[in-house]
Order: sequence, then C-alpha cells, then structure tokens
Amino acid sequence: MAGVSLKNVVKRFGTMEVVHGASLDVEDGELIVFVGPSGCGKSTLLRMIAGLEDISGGEIAIGGMAVNDVEPADRGIAMVFQTYALYPHMTVERNLSFGLRMNGNDKADTARRVAKAAQILRIEELLDRRPRQLSGGQRQRVAIGRAIVREPQVFLFDEPLSNLDAELRVQMRVEIARLHAELGVTMIYVTHDQVEAMTLADRIVVLRAGRIEQIGKPLDLYDDPANQFVAGFVGSPKMNFMAAEVASLEDGCVTVALVNHGGARLTVPVENGFAVGDRITVGLRPEHFRRQGEGDCDLSVKVDMAEHLGSTSYIYANTASSEQLVIEREESRGEIGMERLTVSIPAAKAYLFDASGARLR
Amino acid sequence: MRMRTRAAYGFLAPYLLIFTTFWVWPIVFSFYLSFLATRTQPWRFNPAATWGRLVIDPAFLNALKNTLVILVIQVPVMIALATVLAVLLNSQLLRARGIMRFAFFAPVVVGEAAYAAVFRLMFNADFGIINKIITGLGLPPVAWFASPTAAMALIMMAVTWRWVGYNAIIILSGLQAIPQDVYEAATLDRVSKPRQFFFITLPLLRPIILFCVVLSIIGTMQLFAEPFLITNRGGPGQATETLGLFLYRQGFTVLNFGYASAVAYTIAALAILISLANLWLGRSAK
Ligand SMILES: Nc1ncnc2c1ncn2[C@@H]1O[C@H](COP(=O)(O)OP(=O)(O)OP(=O)(O)O)[C@@H](O)[C@H]1O
Ligand SMILES: [Mg+2]
Repeated sequence: MAGVSLKNVVKRFGTMEVVHGASLDVEDGELIVFVGPSGCGKSTLLRMIAGLEDISGGEIAIGGMAVNDVEPADRGIAMVFQTYALYPHMTVERNLSFGLRMNGNDKADTARRVAKAAQILRIEELLDRRPRQLSGGQRQRVAIGRAIVREPQVFLFDEPLSNLDAELRVQMRVEIARLHAELGVTMIYVTHDQVEAMTLADRIVVLRAGRIEQIGKPLDLYDDPANQFVAGFVGSPKMNFMAAEVASLEDGCVTVALVNHGGARLTVPVENGFAVGDRITVGLRPEHFRRQGEGDCDLSVKVDMAEHLGSTSYIYANTASSEQLVIEREESRGEIGMERLTVSIPAAKAYLFDASGARLR
Repeated sequence: MRMRTRAAYGFLAPYLLIFTTFWVWPIVFSFYLSFLATRTQPWRFNPAATWGRLVIDPAFLNALKNTLVILVIQVPVMIALATVLAVLLNSQLLRARGIMRFAFFAPVVVGEAAYAAVFRLMFNADFGIINKIITGLGLPPVAWFASPTAAMALIMMAVTWRWVGYNAIIILSGLQAIPQDVYEAATLDRVSKPRQFFFITLPLLRPIILFCVVLSIIGTMQLFAEPFLITNRGGPGQATETLGLFLYRQGFTVLNFGYASAVAYTIAALAILISLANLWLGRSAK
C-alpha cells in the first residue's frame, strides 16, 4: 500500500508546457479523482505517475520513494486505459495472465490471482473468449481485472467509463466504488464527468489548463468552491452566474446591483474590500432559488423551457439582456405553462467572484 | 425482363463484351487448347502430348524445381526482411520517414528492363561493383552468371530487392493499425520491447503477413522478368529457368500452344494450391 505525492510537477512537450507545477498528496488507500475540461492535462498527469511520460520537472513519489527514474513496471502501479488496451489476440484468461507469465511468475500463483480477479469482477464465464467477443462493459471489467492481477499499490484509471453507455456507466461506477472498498488500495481516477467525480471520490482535484484549481472533498468543493471555475465546474446543472456591480458598502456587507435584472439590489455578507462600481459576478446554485418573497431579492424572469421530472423541475429562464438562468424547483405543478416567473435569491447562499474569477468571502 | 433491368444490361453490354472476349474466352479456349497436340497440322485431340508430357518432361521438371527452390528460399527471407523493414520504417526515431518509405517502395515502379540492366552491371563478374567489394574483402570473386548456384542466388536477390519494399509498406499499414496503448499496457506488464514484438506485434500482423506471403507465392510462381533479363533466358544453361520462362519458350519460341496452355494451367493450379495450404497452415488457432 502506498500514497502518491507530486511536488511541483511540470510537463513540457517540446517547448510547450502543459502541466505547470502540480503539487498534491494522495493518501494511502484514498480514491482521488482528477477532473477538468478536455485538454487540461489530466491524462498527462496520470501518465507521468504511471511512467508512460517523462517528468519534465518536479518530483513524483510513490510510497515515499521518488520514482522519476523508475521504470513503469517497477512503480507498483497498474493502469486501466480509456480504450481498454486489451491484447486483441489473446483470450481473457491470457489477457489477465500475460504479464505474470512473461515475468516467470509461479504458475499456481498466476492461476490463483486470475481466478480471484475473475471472481471479484464476475467474469469467470468469459475467460475463454477474446476481446472482440465481449461487450464494452465486459471488456472494461477485463481491463480492470488485468490491473488487479498485478496486485498493485496504486490503481490508475484514465476515463475508464467514457466509452460505455449511460446505464452501464452508472453500474460500473458502483463496481469501481465497491472494488475500492474491497481492495482498500490507493486509486487515482481521471474523468471529465463531474458526476462521476462527485460520486466516487474521497477527494477531487479540479484541473484547468495544466494547473490545480482546488483540491477537496466533493461536498466541500460544492459548498465552498475556491473560485468561479470550480464553482461552475462542480455541480449539475451548473451554478448560475449573474453580472453585478458593487452599489454600496456597509460594515461586513456589500450591496450589489444585478445589472441584467434591472439593477435589482442584493446585500451579501462579505469581509473583503471592494470599491463602489467594481464589476463582480454573483453565483447561485439552481436549487437555491426561493419562491417570490421568500429570499432577499426578487427577480422576474422569462421562462424559455421547463423540464418537469416529477420530483424536481428545471426551469430554463432568461432575462431581457439574455442572461441564462437555471432554476430548480421541488414542487412546480402549479407553474406548468407559466411564461414569467418571479424567484428570489437568498443572500446567504450567494457566492461572489471578482473579475478574475477569484472568490470573494 | 423488366424494362429497367434491360436498360441496365444495355449499359453493361460493352463491358461484358470486352470482358468475355479478352478474359473469359482466352481462359476457356486455352483450357480446350491444353488437350490438343499443336506441333502438327491439323491440331488433334491428344492429351498425352500435353498433360501427359508434363509429368515426364525433364525441362518442365527442371523449371518446376527451380521455381520451387526460389519460392521456398526467397519468399520467407523477403517477408522476414519486409517485416523488419516495416518496423524500422514505423520507428519514431527514423528521420525523413516519408522519403524512406518512398525510397523502399520505389523499385516497384522502376522499369524491369532498366533495373535488370543495372543488376547485370553490378554483378558483372569482371568489373561489377559487387565482385569488387567481395575481392576487396579478400574473398574469391563469384561467377554470378556462370555458376548455377550463384545465378539462382542472384535471381533471388534481385526479386527480393524489387519487392521487399512493396511488402514492407503493406505490413507497415498493419503495424499502424495496432493501437499504441496495447504496447503501453505491455510495458506496464513488464514485457520487454523484443518480447512485445514476438508476443504482440507478430501475432497481430499474422493476417497481413499471410496476405503478403500469398501475393508473393503467386508472383514467384509466375516469375519471368528476372531470369529472362538478368540471367539471360534462364542461364547458365537452364539453371535459372522458371515455370514462367518455360511457358514463354513453349508458347512463343516453339509455338507449341497446346503444351503451353497445359503449363499455364499447372502454374495457376500450383499457385492456388500452395496459397491455400499457406492460408490453412496460418489460420488462427481456434
Ligand atoms: N504527445 C503530446 N505532444 C504534444 N502535446 C501533447 C501530447 N499529449 C498531450 N498534449 C497536450 O497536452 C495537453 C493536455 O493533454 P491531456 O491528454 O493530458 O488532456 P486531458 O485532460 O486528458 O484531456 P481529455 O479530457 O480530452 O482526455 C493538451 O493540450 C494536449 O494537446
Ligand atoms: Mg485524457
């Protein structure tokens, strides 16, 4: 068992730097998830941990030992690829045992490990098939099985579920969580699906353009995002952002005017220093909108579309200056067909961000 | 027949006519010819003079032996070389890969007469560069055109030179179809590069290599240009006479069309048989 630590890790392809000094400590037995938009460097970071990419700067340690110059096979890691990367010409059994066999592992031990992995993943009856005779979900299990038989200290997953359909994805997500509980080993999991991140992770690492934006427990990221990017990335539907201008300052409070809502005033408790006239952004999650009069600032919006799912409804609304808002309602049967809606913002739930996206507290 | 179908056949007619005249008819007619004794007028039905002669004609058996010797030695060597070449051409370390690929493919588009002339010059026993190099190394010069063994070796080298790049390019396309992450997975499985080649690359290339082998078998069974042009019509003596050359001699020098037709059918049948045997031997274990 081992933790993983990254110290100022940098990656350059030629002259282009794609990871700009990432530092992170993954604890032993933790399931940590890297999320971020496409191209932010998640895979690159993971592949550096695996040893498939050279490290251009900084240090990566696994189990307390620097591995910068250690061969991939000697790092005690196993990786599950997005494309599964199964050996196409080998049966499932061979796929699982190939590495052990090539390294002269004891035959009985190999058989035991394969049997155990097959049992954990419930693929016993598939052992004689070849990859092309398997469904996507089955292939994925085999790929995970191949990682298990290596008995690694750290599992690395690169978007393992992105090639599966939605239903199977949910099912495999549960399986991976179960696997983590069962094996109790460190796992680093890359995804760009924030729902996957929220449901699986002990801690989430949010990446953007080669930088770590925030590290934290899923609900901490949700409740207390460090900046506008994280606030917008974590949570589905996304947090609403409303343009605003500082109207006046009081002791421990700031009053802002929502410029796209006819200058509606909202007073938010905040410590930071502002100047009157600063352009800022007010963030509010869809579920935090209240009914008319129940919050601190009423807004009248035009309803573009409403999705009534039974238990909740999502209302897609618009202002005169086309600022999009998503409003989540628990009970909306009375509102079906309405063209305008008045909602209210509770000041305590509002987040403020400055022009650069930094959180104002 | 419906109107539309009739119109369709109408449009196809010119093609079908040409196809029948120049493709189907010669095949059918030569089969008929292969049963006729054509050295005497009028041609008479006499299979003993054609098919019967095949099995006892020492000149035919010599050509068959030469062809099979070339097949058994040259095809495996060339395919092995082509595979190695394909791996090299695929290497990230290689500079100017595009130019290299073209360079190795180029012999296929060079005219046969031109390349044969160059080979004759290079292998000339007295002033050719190859013998200069050999004697330079302190070895005795090789009589490339006078020694039967050396002449066979020369034919094999020439054919290999001409077709190895072509096969390498085909195999290269197979190499490029193998996803990179399979190799990465193997690297994580602590499988060394050479073992990756033998346990992953080669098995995955098997269908395409088999395809190249079959192509080469068909080509070699019909081998004609090299012994005709380089070793001067199968010389020395009949030492490099191949089936293709024998067929040519019977058909166009001796004008024994019946016998030549039987030889042609034999070549085709052998090519098909050997190719099928190869496909059967190389089928994936199930
Ligand atoms: N071999 C390479 N050579 C040059 N640039 C590369 C290479 N691999 C990745 N990059 C660049 O590095 C950046 C990060 O790529 P990476 O694959 O890590 O993104 P990612 O976060 O995994 O994205 P995705 O969600 O699409 O998989 C991208 O801008 C990409 O173009
Ligand atoms: Mg990626």
